[in-house]
Amino acid sequence: METIKYILKRILQTIPLLIMVSLISFFIIRLSPVDPLAELKLNPSISPETVQKERQRLGLDKPIIVQYGKWAFSFIRGDLGVTSTGEKVSQKLKERIPNTLLLTSIVIFLTWLVGVPLGIIAAVRWKSKTDRILTVLTSIGMAIPSFFFAILLLMFAVKTGWFPIGGLTSPNFADMTFGGKVLDIAYHLVLPVFVLFTISLAGLQRQMRGNMLDVLDSDYVKFARAKGLSENVVIYKHALRNAVNPMITLLGFEFAGLLSGAALTEYVFQYPGLGRLILEAVLKSDINLVMASLMMGAVMLILGNLIADILLIITDPRIRVKS
Amino acid sequence: MIRRVFRVLLVILLIAVLCKACLVKDMPDYTSNNSQNSENKQVLINYPAPKNVTINGVDYLQSQAPVGKFGGELISSTIGEGPKTFNPFNSKDNTSSTMAGIMYDGLLTTNPITGQPAPKLAKSYTISPDGKTYTIKLRKGIQWSDGKPITADDVVFTWRDIIFAGMGETSTRDSIVIDGKLPTVRKLDNYTVEFVTPKPFAPFIRMLSTPIAPKHVFMPAIKKGNAYFDSFLSTTTKPADFVTSGAFKLKEYVPAQRVVFERNPNYYEINTKDEKLPYLNKLVYLIVGDLNNEVLKFEAKELDIISLQGSKVARYKSVEPHSDFKLYNLGPDTGTMHLSMNMNNRKDDKGKYYVNPVKQKWFQDKNFRQAVDYAIDRKNMVLNIANGIGEPLFTPESLNSIFLNKNLKSYDKNLNKSRELLKKSGFYTDKKGRLFDKDGNRVEFDLYTNAGNTEREAIGVMVKQDLEELGMKVNFKPVEFNSLVNKLVSTFDWDMVIMGLTGSPLEPNGGKNVWLSDGRLHIFNQRTPAEGKKGILPWEKEIDYYFTQGALATKFENRKKYYDKYQEIVYDEKPFVYIYSPVRIVALRNKFKNIYPSNLGGITHNVEEIYIGDNNGNN
Repeated sequence: METIKYILKRILQTIPLLIMVSLISFFIIRLSPVDPLAELKLNPSISPETVQKERQRLGLDKPIIVQYGKWAFSFIRGDLGVTSTGEKVSQKLKERIPNTLLLTSIVIFLTWLVGVPLGIIAAVRWKSKTDRILTVLTSIGMAIPSFFFAILLLMFAVKTGWFPIGGLTSPNFADMTFGGKVLDIAYHLVLPVFVLFTISLAGLQRQMRGNMLDVLDSDYVKFARAKGLSENVVIYKHALRNAVNPMITLLGFEFAGLLSGAALTEYVFQYPGLGRLILEAVLKSDINLVMASLMMGAVMLILGNLIADILLIITDPRIRVKS
Repeated sequence: MIRRVFRVLLVILLIAVLCKACLVKDMPDYTSNNSQNSENKQVLINYPAPKNVTINGVDYLQSQAPVGKFGGELISSTIGEGPKTFNPFNSKDNTSSTMAGIMYDGLLTTNPITGQPAPKLAKSYTISPDGKTYTIKLRKGIQWSDGKPITADDVVFTWRDIIFAGMGETSTRDSIVIDGKLPTVRKLDNYTVEFVTPKPFAPFIRMLSTPIAPKHVFMPAIKKGNAYFDSFLSTTTKPADFVTSGAFKLKEYVPAQRVVFERNPNYYEINTKDEKLPYLNKLVYLIVGDLNNEVLKFEAKELDIISLQGSKVARYKSVEPHSDFKLYNLGPDTGTMHLSMNMNNRKDDKGKYYVNPVKQKWFQDKNFRQAVDYAIDRKNMVLNIANGIGEPLFTPESLNSIFLNKNLKSYDKNLNKSRELLKKSGFYTDKKGRLFDKDGNRVEFDLYTNAGNTEREAIGVMVKQDLEELGMKVNFKPVEFNSLVNKLVSTFDWDMVIMGLTGSPLEPNGGKNVWLSDGRLHIFNQRTPAEGKKGILPWEKEIDYYFTQGALATKFENRKKYYDKYQEIVYDEKPFVYIYSPVRIVALRNKFKNIYPSNLGGITHNVEEIYIGDNNGNN
């Protein structure tokens, strides 16, 4: 009961937050000097009447506050509006979201599957050879910018011909059998997943190692050891449960990054996800599309934090007592 | 410590000298580029244009190119985020128009070599002697992809109920409104249509290449009104719902990945063995976000064809002999890069001059404009900015235009002539080489271009250098594209600008917004709508006259005379100082046969005749 009340309170708190986010984003986009009609104005074959018609269609002839009001009203009713070229925003997002989710969820699954155990190993064998090697590798992973790494891998793919140059499916995808389709997608996913995996693994492994080292140094672990418990019980029963708490908060942020975290890598690999769509929308000042993506980002972040907090309530009795 | 500072200074000096050396004329570079250029000259192969034949009462178009093999696919690419719609009457961007153009044929097309109108869906056309009536004969017995016949009803419906009615994107309609009136269209019989323009209007013939829509598919959409039509045949429409007349029809559209077309079995073109074209089974366009990825995809053999930027041509040229592709030089592009001076001498609403009166005197002085023109080293720019893949430009019509005035000669940079012209207008230089006008004002102005366009920025730097040799002080300011457009079309507060405008190599009348003295893009002397033709200069008046007459005349030879005149005036008065046109180079895999590269049509203008042969052999 307490938990449900807490969740409701949190959801109510997000409403003013979302209004603020939408106001700020809307005004910043509209006040930027990007003119969605500039291209048209400089095209000799476009008549002034057409430019005027376009201005009316995009609602640019009205004051900003009216434009915002119109947008907010339809947003509340669940209508995301149309892009500057007249396509439905919801449709455009629907086309791209599954692709981005496929990529990011594979990456998050893999990094947690590998990163957490590696962090524990490094902490338990502190200052051993394994720890040092892992430190070097993760430092490289953290230092290398994702777009640069992606470009290097693309060049590798061109030289060897072992991997496709970006994209998600081959041109003859439609004619493949189901098994062939799965393999084709997996084949295209190898490089982008590898880039994102390497980079997020590094951070996660360092985080886990740090938490674990902190805990291993604490009095209750020393006490457990003194009590004569086996090393396995000390680490996995007593130390790990405490070390994992900060990781849950981190998981909340990972959730927020599900839709937006891979934009740069997506762009380099020409991956048909949200990243490319939003980048183009921003460049063209396609307001409905940009607003939809910004709002989506905000909601995901709030939701991620909420989920992390709820998980913390479940795993950490101390929080339950306080609330 | 001092030694260290000295070393740093030395390095900086070295870099500065190197940079200078790179920008200033570079003789060895010139010769190497030149030799490469000569072996890479544009090659024109005689294209056997298709002919009309009638077999069993059906009027086919017959390809005259060698007979090829059926099957296979051609994988091409499109830069950006792909098509926004497949409705040919809604497309506002190039990619969408290209995609729609593949599926829907127009009545006429353009002969890729001569640039003259050629039959497509129409079998033949005649223009009455007064230049107002166009009679179009359609092919008998040809069909839409769903088997329904293509008749005069479809043509009349397309023109009357879609285009003249203002459905979808209205630029076609806007461009044929003559004195506020639209042409009329009428069905004479099932296979004959007649268009009548209110006045003789030569550019109308080019408009007949507008796609024709199947009435039985578009009619229900039209009835539902404009708002419905805007989303009709969008990218979410099922491929099976498209009924087309072109060589290919849509098979699959995968957002942000590719568009796949398959052959239309009902296409009306046949080969000399009377087999139905096209040869290729599939035409694939990969949707590629940027140029670099496109290059990588070509090198990894995921693409069959690629357009090359100047800087990449040299490398491709060197690997061409032992590779499976060939480079084709398609000749100069339609782009016209130019430098323009603001000749506006009027005041805004608040009584303030748009341009500083001191500067006005310079820009309105023909000698000054010509001096600037002679000071510009176009050849050096072609070599250093376009990597030798370009041609110096002196005319407003692009170098591949069928209306190009070939009598206007090109010339080299000539500083002495520039100085002479400046002297004539009373400009003088002081001991430090600084240029002053006859009233003693230092010649100093701003040069704008849009930031982010590396080519224009590079041109800006070189123009600045060239003009500073005359003693002018040039403040080069690349600004954001939108702010620049705002300056050009709304606030008029600029001195000199480097811009490019697109034009058509077939129809100069498209440039009327730029050249008519009350045009919307008459940027060198822009008048507000309220000002009308206020303060018109004698030569502006002449251009107005030639442009109006050029559209009214019907015979090509007569039109050419008018457009030659306008080019002469621009060549002499220099409202725009033209710089260069890039040359288009395309790489295509050797396995494709029946390739007839053409300046106007590109390389895949005859995509229905292209087939896949064995890898050897030249064509």
